[in-house]
Amino acid sequence: MLDFFSIFSKGGIVLWCFQGTSQIFTSSVNALIKAVILQERTGQLSYDHDNVTLKYKLDNEFELVYVVAYQKILKLSYVDKFLNDIHMEFRDAYKNELQLQQFGKNFEISEMFTSILKSAEEWGKLQAAAPKVMKSFEESQKSKKTVASMIERKGDDKENKKVKKVEIKVPDVKIPEPINVELSEEDLIQQKRREFAEKMAAGKNKSKPTTEKLKSPKAASKKSKESRVWPLGGAPKDMETLDYTKDKDLGESPLPQQAVYLPDPKAIGTLQGEVRDMDFESESEEEEEDVEERGKNDYVPQQVSQQKKKTGIFSLFKNLVGSKTISEEDMAPVLDKMRDHLIAKNVASEIAGKLCDSVAAKLNGKVLGTFESLANTVKASLTESLVQILSPRRRVDILRDVYESQKQKRPYVMSFCGVNGVGKSTNLAKICFWLIENNFRVLIAACDTFRAGAVEQLRTHMRHLNSIHPPEKHGGLQMVQLYEKGYGKDAAGIALEAINHAQEAGIDVVMIDTAGRMQDNEPLMRALAKLIKVNEPDLVLFVGEALVGNEAVDQLVKFNQALADYSASENPHTIDGIVLTKFDTIDDKVGAAISMTYITGQPIVFIGTGQTYADLKTLNVKAVVSILMK
Amino acid sequence: MVQQSSLLVNPVEPNELDEKLRLIPQDDEDQGINCVVWKAGLPSYLVILFFIFLFVWRKGRVSRRGICLVGLCESGKTLIFSQLIYKKAVESFTSMKENVGVLDIANKGALKLIDIPGHERVRQRFFDSYKNTARGIVFVLDSFSLNKDIRDVAEYLYTILSDPVVSSNRPQVLILCNKQDHPLAKGPQVIQSVLEKEMNVLRNTQTNQLEAVAEGGNRKSFYLGQEGKNFEFADIRSLRVEFAASSAQTEDLENLKKWLQSVA
Repeated sequence: MLDFFSIFSKGGIVLWCFQGTSQIFTSSVNALIKAVILQERTGQLSYDHDNVTLKYKLDNEFELVYVVAYQKILKLSYVDKFLNDIHMEFRDAYKNELQLQQFGKNFEISEMFTSILKSAEEWGKLQAAAPKVMKSFEESQKSKKTVASMIERKGDDKENKKVKKVEIKVPDVKIPEPINVELSEEDLIQQKRREFAEKMAAGKNKSKPTTEKLKSPKAASKKSKESRVWPLGGAPKDMETLDYTKDKDLGESPLPQQAVYLPDPKAIGTLQGEVRDMDFESESEEEEEDVEERGKNDYVPQQVSQQKKKTGIFSLFKNLVGSKTISEEDMAPVLDKMRDHLIAKNVASEIAGKLCDSVAAKLNGKVLGTFESLANTVKASLTESLVQILSPRRRVDILRDVYESQKQKRPYVMSFCGVNGVGKSTNLAKICFWLIENNFRVLIAACDTFRAGAVEQLRTHMRHLNSIHPPEKHGGLQMVQLYEKGYGKDAAGIALEAINHAQEAGIDVVMIDTAGRMQDNEPLMRALAKLIKVNEPDLVLFVGEALVGNEAVDQLVKFNQALADYSASENPHTIDGIVLTKFDTIDDKVGAAISMTYITGQPIVFIGTGQTYADLKTLNVKAVVSILMK
Repeated sequence: MVQQSSLLVNPVEPNELDEKLRLIPQDDEDQGINCVVWKAGLPSYLVILFFIFLFVWRKGRVSRRGICLVGLCESGKTLIFSQLIYKKAVESFTSMKENVGVLDIANKGALKLIDIPGHERVRQRFFDSYKNTARGIVFVLDSFSLNKDIRDVAEYLYTILSDPVVSSNRPQVLILCNKQDHPLAKGPQVIQSVLEKEMNVLRNTQTNQLEAVAEGGNRKSFYLGQEGKNFEFADIRSLRVEFAASSAQTEDLENLKKWLQSVA
């Protein structure tokens, strides 16, 4: 029933191959490698391509991959067992050759293959035929719940009422006791509640006191009712600030056309050609600073590491004596620590989990060298995975593509999308500045027809940029133009007209600024998909802020899904690149970069690091990974 | 009894013993002279050590015996590797890891052949780990699909040629136009001119790229060729770039083998 089976080395050389049908599986296997293994999704063991399901197993000891392919509609249960069995058999039979990496040898394992396949199929038949064994109590979900949560009441409301009733009863009963006069009545009730709770804690119900204790601090904070004071609330002292009847003395009249747009002379020409590099403290300096900080922050991990030191000494001896194979249980504590470290650096928790699973799959069964420690191997493997994820999987060279479009006499269209407030318009202006520094003319299409002041914001940027790069310097041509149709109009229509205008005027780049929208707002996502579908931009950039945490996963998944679903075409144009903004605000918690590139698989094209035009940078993969792993 | 007598055969007489004991303090003067001699010899020892170190280090540099096979995905690197090392053609899938093999060149010793995966995400990492040992770099490209991939090919080639380590080590570079067995494949001269035009454009765009976040001291890429003039491979002063045709499918690797002979 298997259509295809192959054993090949991680270097790509096929050791043995079985092909049941005449279909060529090379493209499927290549797609598997590119999509799963090289994208660090090795935790996911099966992959669908065309109408074929591919399952694989990694042998990390001898650097081999075992791949099985069968029709997607079949649901074969014995494939995992078959992979394990043939892995063991092949390994035992050819251990010597594999250790010496003699991949050129002719491996003849057809009999081994047929016999193992037969036994696996029979096993599968037996499994299907056997009656389903009932789960024991330990395996069931019920045993994992606490007793308190399982006490059935007729409804949750009644449960709360019951709890309240008991509470109210208590003060009635206990008030006649001598009480401290200084306590207010509410404090008294809190005290009585606490005493009651402690009493009940001695009894069966352990969950109730926690809810009681949770309630008491909240109630205790509202001790006395303070009167609310509204700023600028109309009191007499606010009269002056609220008086807009006459112009205040600002020194000069507002909006002097020349003065406001005076270019900042320092910014001109900074983004052209060779640019100076940002300071990156060397490792030794940072280690000295970190030694003091480590004392504060790493209290908990130190305990873990101390425990590990004891086992570390023994493992050191073990390493000197013989070679150690890594197993799942060995890696689990190290991987947990790594996962927590990643989450602490603002990587989305789901992504951190998947990354650790992928590293576990890549290292399972690997043999450690004599002086390698497990923690270092895991850390190195994780660093490699992170570098791999952040490295772009396609060429990122916008200037080259714009030049190509220039040659083809059509404008290069870039569109920016994202949720509200991430910095689309600001970074659009920065990218525009970079492009005009490299002598390309830009048309900004103001397709944000919703947010108040969006068009004015872009107009201000346009004027500022034009004063920095006046037409006289560029042969009488205005470098930045704005195409806008006011507010309340259809964004897709404005974009289409803008592109046509750019084509006629010979403008090199069109940048479409869209309104910010939440990812689960269906009508707005439809509108965005329509804009993308109608205008077919060359580059669809998702703008995301570096401060986002787990939300990044949700935003990107939903944006991509919306662009794919609502486009109603065979090849929907999904997100092509990511702009990571507000990078200067995050210090060393750079995990959002990982989350975003992992989800989409698309590269980070720009990084926004501030509010001025020169604050635009690209990604330095090694530096960001080293910041992440520190 | 016999044994006991043997011990007494050479007894240490008391006066000799005293002399022996006295020898130790008496040696102070001799030791003093020895110290001086040793102290005078110390700089010479250091000098000798320095020369030994220099010799070993030079030997290490000269004995860079690596040949890196680089190129885009599906250009034929793994097939070429297996034909040179295993002397037979094997099927291959996308490489995830490098393949390392030893190639014996007649009369000239052994070369280490390294097949670096072409996939964009991993190729930089593997290339970085092997570029120090590179005596020669073979850039394999698919002559047939060059029109489609010209930008990717040129960008990768540009990255390799402008890499600072490569510029300082000055390995020899061979651009191997593979898949010549295909009827519509282009010849090396055509490929050279097409690549030169593309690299000319790339020169400007690559050096105008934005700076990277948290970058180290020195700038990554160098300006290749001569400024003001159109880019030509002959202009790159630090590297010698050659072009050759081959077809791994039909085992026509003569040009490659000749080049390897000349590099070794």
